[in-house]
Amino acid sequence: MKPFYYLLVGGLSWLLLQACREQYEAPIPYEFSGQTGSGRFTAPVRQAMEGVYTVSDGVGEFGAQVALKWTYVLNGADTTHYLSIFSGNEAGFFNLENDRSVDSLVVRGYWRKLVNTDTGLARLALRTRRNGELQRFTGTLAVGDTLVLEGSYGTGNANPDQPLTLTYNRPLNPRPFAILAHRSGGRTSDLLSVSENSLNMIRLASRLGATGIEIDIKFTKDGVPILYHDNLLNLRLIQKNGLEGPVEEYTYQQLNTLVRLVNGEKIPTLEEALETVLTSTTLNFVWLDTKYDGPMDRVQAIQQRFRQRAIASRRDLRIVIGLPTTQAADAYRALANKENTPVLSELDTAITRSLDARIWAPRWTLGPQIEQVRAMQAEGRTVFVWTLDEPKFIEQFIQESNFDGILSNYSPLVAYYHYVDQ
Amino acid sequence: MILHLRSGWSVLLLGWLVLSGSVALAQRAVRPYEPPADYQPGIYFPQAPRPGEWRKSIGLIFTSTPPEITEEIRLLVPAIDVNLQHGLSKNWYLSARLQTQLVQSNLALGVRYATPVTEKLYAGLGIDGIGWFGALNIKDVFNSQAGGLEAIPHATLGYRLTRDLQLTFRTEAIMDLYYRSTVGPLAVEYDQRRLNGVAFTFALEQPFYKQQHVTLGLRAAYSNFNWQFWSLYDTFERDFFYPQLFFGFIL
Repeated sequence: MKPFYYLLVGGLSWLLLQACREQYEAPIPYEFSGQTGSGRFTAPVRQAMEGVYTVSDGVGEFGAQVALKWTYVLNGADTTHYLSIFSGNEAGFFNLENDRSVDSLVVRGYWRKLVNTDTGLARLALRTRRNGELQRFTGTLAVGDTLVLEGSYGTGNANPDQPLTLTYNRPLNPRPFAILAHRSGGRTSDLLSVSENSLNMIRLASRLGATGIEIDIKFTKDGVPILYHDNLLNLRLIQKNGLEGPVEEYTYQQLNTLVRLVNGEKIPTLEEALETVLTSTTLNFVWLDTKYDGPMDRVQAIQQRFRQRAIASRRDLRIVIGLPTTQAADAYRALANKENTPVLSELDTAITRSLDARIWAPRWTLGPQIEQVRAMQAEGRTVFVWTLDEPKFIEQFIQESNFDGILSNYSPLVAYYHYVDQ
Repeated sequence: MILHLRSGWSVLLLGWLVLSGSVALAQRAVRPYEPPADYQPGIYFPQAPRPGEWRKSIGLIFTSTPPEITEEIRLLVPAIDVNLQHGLSKNWYLSARLQTQLVQSNLALGVRYATPVTEKLYAGLGIDGIGWFGALNIKDVFNSQAGGLEAIPHATLGYRLTRDLQLTFRTEAIMDLYYRSTVGPLAVEYDQRRLNGVAFTFALEQPFYKQQHVTLGLRAAYSNFNWQFWSLYDTFERDFFYPQLFFGFIL
């Protein structure tokens, strides 16, 4: 047998396997107008709409019930409102905007499921059911009226042709709960339209159900704190450009000029990220995950500056420094002044107490840890769990544990299980 | 021991090329094909052991982690790989295989049928029932267990290239039957029966030293779930590529 045949078998095997590998993509089939305001969906209408709805048409795709919530992003003094619908099926969600092309209360947009690539268009009209008859909703609900969203959804770019009917059932669960989105809103590997740890992802986060975000902090060669998760520049996170190696080996200027995240965005600085949170979103919590070794004073200075700005603008916004390792804890201990520097400890309860961290965040793989969580809460600490994505465990953690919030890549699913919880 | 690699697949491919090249060089001086006077030991080659005869092998299997799950970290995860086969008749035999990393193990029990098609070409069919279990109890990190059941029907073609060298190609369908995972007192179960993925295996078996024989091969699994990575709790409804390199000494 000649070596040629062995090489041929190996080469053909490789080619066969490469040919069999499917490329996964989930492009958004809808282009948002981004127009400011909310059209005919006035504040009372939006408020009346929020709630848990029973699904009658579309149960197979989206489950028996869904949660509806309005969010908005800010652009200067302008606000743009979006309707989110959270489904318990396969981390499904809808992102919808008001349809200004019609003279009625209509939203349109797209739906997506995060665990796979399923997506499609959707269009829903708001009506009210009065005495068994569906009528146009005029903005006022009489006793006995029920809100109904009636319309259709489709698959991919196809026109929506499958009926979808949502009937108001009850208000959203009002219990305060932190829905924290991993990597500023979601992972790049979940095929979202924007990249993880980008400004666009921060703007998208609340539409995915998040009330807060976790972002990953690294330093450039010239000491600029930026948002980036991995140790290396790699094609998982950035577009191909010939650059490789540790991100810390590049200056901010080099990264800003030469590197684009996979969906085309620039790698943001920590200051740009906090500016976006503060001025463009309604997010109320930012978890700065320290992915670097070294002094913490620069991050502390930025955290304190934006804390002051949030207070000055009367924004309900907590910015906390995460301490995932004993090295990070030591860097925190080494700070000359720890005043107004809230930290979140991922370490054990003893270290968390010794740091006087106001937030404790254990891994979800340790289970609900009921007793420890209660003890920490009794001492005035907030307790979050990370990074929980398994759908059935999300449901159980919300129903059977007493955490104050969950960090997840699937914030729509956390939002769903939290809002429908009774 | 876990090997950190930039590209597990590249290393596996390189390993394949180097090892197959070495085998090829070793075969250059082999005389023309002669029908074997006796059964050649082989774990993968589709030929039943003689009735009542036992075949055994022990080795290692390395699995490369998919980047979709472990992101920039690429691991080549080793497991001890033990095979045992017992001949029932001229064509039928039983098989057992244990893969273990101590904290997680996989036991496959199966029955196989193999028959010669021509003097050099053999074919076989079989099905393995699999039970796997993992437990991770690490302070401040894990309090988790998981286990599951799978079934793998497979078809095998074997070609005896020379008197001593046997080449095997196997294709498998990986069926999920049951999964249960616990963290602390919480548990989730999935008992849906579904096709989890497929796998293709190439194996070479030949004499190694004196009366000893070795198995050397590549298995390429393309599946949604891989039992070895249960503790990473991936939730993607997508198939990932799990390349494996294995070798074993037939005892």
